[in-house]
Amino acid sequence: MSLRAPTIPLEQAGGIAIEEPYDPRRRPPVVAGPFDAARVTECVSRITEVPRTPLGWYIAFVISGALTVVFFACSVYLFVKGIGVWGNNIPVGWAFPIVNFVFWIGIGHAGTLISAILFLLRQGWRTSINRFAEAMTIFAVMCAGLFPVVHLGRVWFVYWLLPYPNQMLVWPQFRSPLLWDVFAVTAYFVTSLLFWYLGMIPDLATLRDRATTPARRLVYGLFALGWTGSARHWHWYESAYLFLAALATPLVVSVHSVVSFDFAVSIVPGWHATIFPPYFVAGAIFSGFAMVITLLVPARAYFGLKELVTIRHLDNMNKIILATSWMVGYAYVIELFVAWYSGNATEWFTFMNRMFGPYAAAYWVMVVCNVLLPQAFWFRKCRTTPAIMWPIAVLINLGMWLERYVIIIVSLSRDYLPSSWGMYYPTWVDLAMLAGSFGLFFSLFLLFCRWLPMVAMAELKALLALRGELLPPHETDVRQQTAAP
Amino acid sequence: MTPISRDSNNIIAAKASKGSAELSRRRWLELMGASFALAGLTGCRWPREEIVPAVKGTGRVPGQALKYATSRELAGGALGLLVTSVDGRPIKIEGNPAHPASLGGTDAWAQAAILELYDPDRNTGVLQRVPPVVERRSWEAFIEAWGRELQSLVQHQGEGLRVLCEWRSSPTLLRLKRLFEKQFPQGRWIFYDPLFNHAERKAIEEFLGGTYRMQYRLEEADLIVTLDADLLADPPTGVVMARQFAARRDPEAGPMNRLYAVESALTLTGANADHRLPLPSSKVADLVVLLEAAISRGLSGEAQAGKPAAPSQPGDGQAASSAEGAEENESLRFLSAMADDLISHAGRSVVVAGRTQPAEVHKAVLRINALLGNLGKTVVLSGELAPDDLPSETGLKQLCAEMAQGMVGALFILGGNPVYTSPPELDLGTLVSKVPFSVHLGLYRDETSEVCTWHLPESHFLESWGDGRAWDGTYGVMQPLIEPLFSGRSILELVALLVQGAFQTRSGGAIPSGYDLVRETFSELIQVPQEDPAFTARWQAVLHEGYLAGSAFSTKAVTPKEAVLPPDESLVARVRQRLSEPLDSAAPELVFWPDRKVYDGRFANSGWLQELPDPITRLTWDNALIMSPGTAARLGVEHEEIAELELAGKRVTVPVFLLEGQADGSLALSLGYGRTAAGRVGGLSREGIPPVGVSARAIWPQDGKGFVHPVTVRPTGSRYLLASTEEHQQIDAVGQWGRQERLDRLVREGTLEKFEKQPDFAKHAVHHPPLKSLWPEHEYPTNRWGMSVDLSKCVGCGACVVACQAENNIPIVGRERVLWNREMHWIRVDRYFRGKGLGGGVSFQPVMCQQCENAPCEQVCPVGATVHSHEGLNDMVYNRCVGTRYCSNNCPYKVRRFNYFWYHPDLDDPAQSVKKMVFNPEVTIRTRGVMEKCTYCVQRIQAAKIAAKNARVIGQIERARELLADGAIQTACQQACPARAIEFGDLSNPGSRVSVAQGSPRAYALLGELNVKPRTIYLAKIRNPNPRLQVPGNS
Repeated sequence: MSLRAPTIPLEQAGGIAIEEPYDPRRRPPVVAGPFDAARVTECVSRITEVPRTPLGWYIAFVISGALTVVFFACSVYLFVKGIGVWGNNIPVGWAFPIVNFVFWIGIGHAGTLISAILFLLRQGWRTSINRFAEAMTIFAVMCAGLFPVVHLGRVWFVYWLLPYPNQMLVWPQFRSPLLWDVFAVTAYFVTSLLFWYLGMIPDLATLRDRATTPARRLVYGLFALGWTGSARHWHWYESAYLFLAALATPLVVSVHSVVSFDFAVSIVPGWHATIFPPYFVAGAIFSGFAMVITLLVPARAYFGLKELVTIRHLDNMNKIILATSWMVGYAYVIELFVAWYSGNATEWFTFMNRMFGPYAAAYWVMVVCNVLLPQAFWFRKCRTTPAIMWPIAVLINLGMWLERYVIIIVSLSRDYLPSSWGMYYPTWVDLAMLAGSFGLFFSLFLLFCRWLPMVAMAELKALLALRGELLPPHETDVRQQTAAP
Repeated sequence: MTPISRDSNNIIAAKASKGSAELSRRRWLELMGASFALAGLTGCRWPREEIVPAVKGTGRVPGQALKYATSRELAGGALGLLVTSVDGRPIKIEGNPAHPASLGGTDAWAQAAILELYDPDRNTGVLQRVPPVVERRSWEAFIEAWGRELQSLVQHQGEGLRVLCEWRSSPTLLRLKRLFEKQFPQGRWIFYDPLFNHAERKAIEEFLGGTYRMQYRLEEADLIVTLDADLLADPPTGVVMARQFAARRDPEAGPMNRLYAVESALTLTGANADHRLPLPSSKVADLVVLLEAAISRGLSGEAQAGKPAAPSQPGDGQAASSAEGAEENESLRFLSAMADDLISHAGRSVVVAGRTQPAEVHKAVLRINALLGNLGKTVVLSGELAPDDLPSETGLKQLCAEMAQGMVGALFILGGNPVYTSPPELDLGTLVSKVPFSVHLGLYRDETSEVCTWHLPESHFLESWGDGRAWDGTYGVMQPLIEPLFSGRSILELVALLVQGAFQTRSGGAIPSGYDLVRETFSELIQVPQEDPAFTARWQAVLHEGYLAGSAFSTKAVTPKEAVLPPDESLVARVRQRLSEPLDSAAPELVFWPDRKVYDGRFANSGWLQELPDPITRLTWDNALIMSPGTAARLGVEHEEIAELELAGKRVTVPVFLLEGQADGSLALSLGYGRTAAGRVGGLSREGIPPVGVSARAIWPQDGKGFVHPVTVRPTGSRYLLASTEEHQQIDAVGQWGRQERLDRLVREGTLEKFEKQPDFAKHAVHHPPLKSLWPEHEYPTNRWGMSVDLSKCVGCGACVVACQAENNIPIVGRERVLWNREMHWIRVDRYFRGKGLGGGVSFQPVMCQQCENAPCEQVCPVGATVHSHEGLNDMVYNRCVGTRYCSNNCPYKVRRFNYFWYHPDLDDPAQSVKKMVFNPEVTIRTRGVMEKCTYCVQRIQAAKIAAKNARVIGQIERARELLADGAIQTACQQACPARAIEFGDLSNPGSRVSVAQGSPRAYALLGELNVKPRTIYLAKIRNPNPRLQVPGNS
């Protein structure tokens, strides 16, 4: 059993070199062709079809699966003992779980942005990565959604947050941003899930058609919903996809705006700021793209998708990261400026405390990771070298997690009355559940990589055809024959 | 044996009073049965005596709270109390407003007594130590064993019989003591109190030639000087002193007093002082010499000049003397200003020396008071108990010597815990364990019980008949509210058993009960025989009122025995030189203080008191070696580092707590910690439960002196986390800056001068644009509850915190969780240090839920668990709460408390089921995962409203609001406050006390600029500094 997934040796088949001298007049193609439809299908489908799961996948899955178990075991411990097993206290009523919630929600931003907004903007390059990013979104939102639930002091009454008719004649309190969260996150999750699934239907049908075992045929067939690829199917599919893209687009902006309202609407110094919605959305896109890079760089190498997911994709994403890094940096500066300019002493203290107080290290690591490091992407070399961009992306993830830590915990730890100031320290359960949420995320992601088409095959073929980059079937055959030793 | 309720509609009281003139014992038993029929419903036990079943129509309403007057004794003074009882179960203690030692207020100890009553760790039965085991016995077995001892003792006139009794002022006990002395001429009765102020008594005796009790009249004093004395906190007079002091701190009510404090440790008194001089305790004597000299010189100069000294003009005698070259010395400058101030307030000032100081200082202070003409005016000397009835300074030492010689055959230790509280050199424990027949009567099976052959459970003061005298001598009765839970007997009942021979002449020869004994004493006291019909009425009255009016010690006109001599100039010069030299911090002195929470250790098993943050250090669940940052730097120790203290070869390791305001070169350690047999809360080594805190006993010198000098301190390098509820001054620079920068907006204060110039200065501390509400404003057709807290009056004692805990069933969480910032108190007393090195003084600010009109918590709760009531309360609906904690985040006052765990696991433990009885049935026990907070004692509001509505329905009154008169509803914190700093009432009534307070020019809303519109309003603190002594921070 090899550690690597089986790939088709495209380079040997005379493919275009991945790294080529940069010529601004001539942008490289979306995929490192030459591709015909069959090769696209083969390239993506093979990953789900190899009979033996590669050992590397198993190793990764065992680790992440174990962490998932840790997450749920800790949750049970939490439900039995109480919220006190975490480090939360008074004044820091919200801590790691809410930091993790905002972090994962932020991660969940890139997918829908790539698939919906870039789709509407006719950004063809998104096609190779949208399925991947959307899957990441779904899993990140799943991780995010767990935290506010387990975070409740009486988790068994979580349904009281829903407006449903009941014999108690009680109704949620609609002025609370937490309730808005419930709707925003649920809507976002449902829409993203539908969008992701809808886009996958033609590919699921491909897998069904290629299936060699009855089980595969049954399962993929079930989820392919009887797709035959008829013109009528395509017609409805395209309309629905466009419709969902239009629906998902405002949600990309709204969900994190609403999440930011949890803070902006309150009166906690350091939370109460009008800049929060755009700041949070920018931050979310920033962290989402960083997470896509974090996942994509190893996945495209491991699963042999370098030709479909090219340096051009990574380059484009890094440009977005650079742009959003500036937005985030701008927000940091403006926040600070407004705290000073407003003349509000409490607000000013909050920022002085962030920068020079007991949690100053978190703040400065955040600034370095989120503002300084991404400046490397001004250089083309950094944007196009996976070995450079990957550590930067990982550090951006760290920085964005710390940003939420700084906003939520550091602000709460010292608010209005100095008598009530108090430090927060995480417990082992806090740390285990943070690690566990990563376990859950990666477990789901590994399952996705193994069993579902990572690249939108149908869409990619259509795109290549539209651009005239798709080779007719016989040409590929010839090239393959000539390239054979 | 029925206690007498305060409520006029109480059937038992009514029946008793309209009954025949002479109430037979049988009748009393009947009535008692009625009162306990319902007590039995609580399910813990059945009263053993005859029960008359409560039938319908007796007028007793199940669940109705009744109040009974009683009193509690601590440090030789009784505090009058009113105890609320529900269905035969006392649940809440309050001060008796008419009692002269309480005036309605209590200390935290009285508030916590209810928890002590239901403490499952109390001893539950008679125990006999038969080495190597301890066996459970019955009272009968003890009585039989004692009977055998008694026979031989009677024959030998009590030779070898000793009684070591905790000092109590109970006239009945003193009467029994005389019976004891008559019956056992060879026996000896020793009163013992480890914290009694022997020095003061000696000074009075030497100076005035008699035994007098010194009492202060602070309400008549314009100037108060305390020398190493915690006048406002020390029992038994702390409550009334705080009240008298605070009454003169309201600049609107009349002229303010001025308080100077000279002390080593920062006490509650020092924290409230207008001027405070941190001075090592060992230097106070020097200061007093100079003070006396300055005053006598000043007064004689004044007499010569024939005009009053003007304190603000430098150039009088004292100022000239201080210009001798040491003007820059802070102590001398302080002294000179203080002396001049005292001279100009002669006859209207009080100088007080503390227990730590030797008799010479007390004598000098008496001379100063005499010079100033304060004696008889502000410092009153009254009658005192007979010298034999006071604690004996040498009695314990003698007893130990006798025990060492084997002269003691039978020893009764009544109350107290001398094995723990006595100095270790005496080795009392070993000596007692060698006495053939030793008995300890106590609430707990403590260190003393462990060495005695017999341990007898003492009944709690809420379980037994008794009496006592307040510090001013007022006689008060202690009546039981519940039958002894653990078959305990009171000290009176045990002494009656001891002197049973004396009762043989009585009809029947029966040993009288505690009830009979107290009645007999009362009969003697009022000189009305029990058979007299007038007696019953007088007895009823004293039970109803709780005390006997007019029974205080009479004040005595005194003349000093010693002539006041002119100062010895050479001594003054020497002392002046010595005072201006700082104490060497490397060889510091160590001062011992009774703890403000566990006192001498007797309250160590009270979770409420252990978790009560110390008013000054905010420390819970520990004591610590307190020192100033300067001293710590000199000694090379750090905050929360464990230091090793050494005195004459004896060592103690104790964590260090750095505190601004502690005099340089002086260390303070509180007594009462490190108990090894306190109970499962305070430490119980026989069950492997480690003690709370560190016992200072090992290095407490034999003479019980207040301080020792010098001690050696060594850093050990190991650390120990101290659970303080506030980040103290040792925080980072940004935090310190942030705190100081906003302090003037949070705790607004000014000098009297500033107030007179601009009374509403506090309203101008923060300026903000006009505030508009985002939501429609609430309307209040009926009541609108509100509160005011006068920061000028609050002394910061913390009684309100424990009162709130008792009233609202607030759990304790333990040290670990206090370290995690999870304490549950609904009210806290914030303490701030102003300026650098405490230069600006200490500020206290009680903070509870402010019941905001525009409450930020209400807006963010997703399930509507916290909502506004139609009377303006911010109601918390526990049942609806899902525990998002968003409300707490959004609360700018951080008064919300979250149940991070299930804090009542003991409720599930059958062995601790007695604890259930402590709960107030009117208040829900909150479950895990819900938020809670101050409710303005909504249950009390509702109770008053229900009573008023019922009265209206049955036609007693026309409108329900008549019964809701101002003051009819008091919150628990308000009621407990000895200083009357808190007012509560209806804001819709413009004449209510709270409306008047909120209309004061000093009134301001804490964080009002946030537009949350708090219902609780603070009144700015006014200080009255001497213009000659600059006070930084108030400029």
